[in-house]
Amino acid sequence: MSSSLDKLLANPRVWRGRDQAGQQAGLASGYPELDRHLPGGGWPRESLTEILTEHYGIGELRLLMPALARLSTETSPQDFTEPGWIAWVAPPFQPYPPALQQCGIDLSRMLIVRPRDASEILWSAEQALSSGTCAAVLLWPSMLDDQASRRLQLAAEKGRSWAIAFRPLAARRQPSAAALRLELHPGDKGSRVHILKSRGGRPAVINTLV
Amino acid sequence: MRRACGPPAIARDIAPTPPAIQQDLPLADPIPLVAPLAPASITRLWFCVWLPHLPMESVGGDNAGAPTAIVEEQHGIHRILLADAAARAAGVMPGQAANAALALLPTLHLEERSLLREQQALEGLATWLERFSSFVSIADQDVLLLEIAGSLRLFGGLRELRQKISKGLRSLGFTGALAIAPTPLAATWLARAGRRACIQDETNLAPALRKLPLACMDWPASLCETLAGMGVMSIGDCLRLPREGFTRRFGAEYLLQLDRALGHLPDPRNSWRAPERFCADYEMTEEQTDRELLLNICRELLLSHEQFLLARQLGTQRICVSFFHLRSPATELRLGCARAERSAGRWFELLGIRFEQLLLPEPVIAVRLRSGMAQPLQAEAGRLSFRNKPGARERRFSITQLAERLIARIGDQSVQATSMVAEHRPDYAWRSQSLLADWSGTTLDTPGETVQRPLWMLPEPMVLPADSGYPVYQGCRLQFIDGPERLETGWWDEDGISRDYYTATGNNGRRLWVFRNRNRGSSWYLHGYFG
Repeated sequence: MSSSLDKLLANPRVWRGRDQAGQQAGLASGYPELDRHLPGGGWPRESLTEILTEHYGIGELRLLMPALARLSTETSPQDFTEPGWIAWVAPPFQPYPPALQQCGIDLSRMLIVRPRDASEILWSAEQALSSGTCAAVLLWPSMLDDQASRRLQLAAEKGRSWAIAFRPLAARRQPSAAALRLELHPGDKGSRVHILKSRGGRPAVINTLV
Repeated sequence: MRRACGPPAIARDIAPTPPAIQQDLPLADPIPLVAPLAPASITRLWFCVWLPHLPMESVGGDNAGAPTAIVEEQHGIHRILLADAAARAAGVMPGQAANAALALLPTLHLEERSLLREQQALEGLATWLERFSSFVSIADQDVLLLEIAGSLRLFGGLRELRQKISKGLRSLGFTGALAIAPTPLAATWLARAGRRACIQDETNLAPALRKLPLACMDWPASLCETLAGMGVMSIGDCLRLPREGFTRRFGAEYLLQLDRALGHLPDPRNSWRAPERFCADYEMTEEQTDRELLLNICRELLLSHEQFLLARQLGTQRICVSFFHLRSPATELRLGCARAERSAGRWFELLGIRFEQLLLPEPVIAVRLRSGMAQPLQAEAGRLSFRNKPGARERRFSITQLAERLIARIGDQSVQATSMVAEHRPDYAWRSQSLLADWSGTTLDTPGETVQRPLWMLPEPMVLPADSGYPVYQGCRLQFIDGPERLETGWWDEDGISRDYYTATGNNGRRLWVFRNRNRGSSWYLHGYFG
């Protein structure tokens, strides 16, 4: 029985989602509960992640901080180069340097970009992603359609960079090319994470995370 | 009588300290203030280029063929300063009133004299002459001086050098009177007198100068008239006058000039340096709207800009491209680089990003490229090749290049780096810098505050309404979960604070950073979110 199953699986026409994601190790998020639900055991590097929230300031940054801190200080084991940069494109408020430093982010490798309109936000993010110098690009797009998300995804793959787009909850119904889509809901004891879409993984709900 | 008994002091070939100068000095100095120039110590040779037709030649031949004259306003009347051959043939003479000249020759093209244009032409020539000598000096508004003693061997002797310069001047469209002498003033006077003199030896200097007329010295006309009235017609006549009397009657300045010309006094000159900024225009014969063409012109200008910087081993951080229109003010495009750059390709890439969005209100008639202050290029640290593993991130461009691209499109102020400041006031504990400023991306090593700070900061604290002493945010009374943290500091400047900070939560799960002023009322402010 197992041999017939193996034979079936060996058929090249059988496509298994888990294998696809398994090729790439995830970036540990610092939250073991979340890592367990993510394929590769962490954030999907070199692709687009979407975080949907109703308000800003409910823990969406804290969710990312452990991973960003690691990215901004660790030299990459692949190429021994200096750590990559973290670009913030169109943040809604001022990212506060003392708090970022408390979280372990290297401020000297941070770039804050404030474009003037929606198209410039996407252009700047795409430039930063595809430049190959940014380890992560955080962006707050005022609009992001399917095509734009695909472009960001491609740019992230090209520059081997991690794109994180913050969007309102209403964007849930829009199609997106993101590899990972999360919803973040505030709760009394901590925010709830709802995995909407995970390439190579499964939707899940994680309570009281951050 | 006086002449007979007074010694011919000026006429001495090698004079000790001239007595006239000592007299003028209020302090009696036992050591001669100005030592006579030792003839054998340093031999200097000055090459003078006098440009008598500079006002005419700096105009440029855009109206070739038509007889042209340069006019200058003197006492409210426009008078002819210079006329070209065609105009002179028709009887137009320097000194004539412009109206009279036009009456003689109605087709005469009159051009107002522009000292600025002449200065530019002169500076252009000085730059060109720098190839013959490391010491080029602009001596007067129409005189250039080169120190050539050190260049003779390189250029194969005096004759060769002289020929090269004279040929070059002709090909650039300038008429120059050339003269060579051991002192700068002597060379200038010889050139002005039209003598194609070449005096290498100082002993021959005085005899050569003696024959020159007074006019070549460019002294005031009234002085020359007075001297002529005394029967003094040449420099030689001048030198025969007693020094004391000459100083008393005409002033020490002219005596000093004579002494300098003869080499009895040193005559230091300022070396002219080409400005280390690039500025070039491209003028079109007719207005253009073709953006492709304009881009090509920019590329041309950037290439000559690169050549300019390459010759100096320099780069620049900023350039400005101006597109001139006939009726509207010029459209300017300012570009910046994070580090000194000269490559035309890099600048063109940045220009292209901005040019895409540039709206030109009108067709363009001319393009100008100006560069900022030139700086030495910084070497870029390269990487050892063995570190380039196959899995390495493909680096399309460096962070500075990324920043430049972003700045080129969305502006200097929109791309920032941040750093920490050792300061307890939350608003002062950090600073953002433009990436184009002197930026090193430093981080404060000292650990910041030990109390948790919010990740999001509001640009300005926001006033919150209060409900029985508690702050209210979005209709919900906030609950404090941490605090107070008292920050009372900054009394030494105008922005001293005295605040109690609390961490509070509202109904939607947001954690807020709120504060209350201790000294001014009791309103609550929201300062940040814990994100």
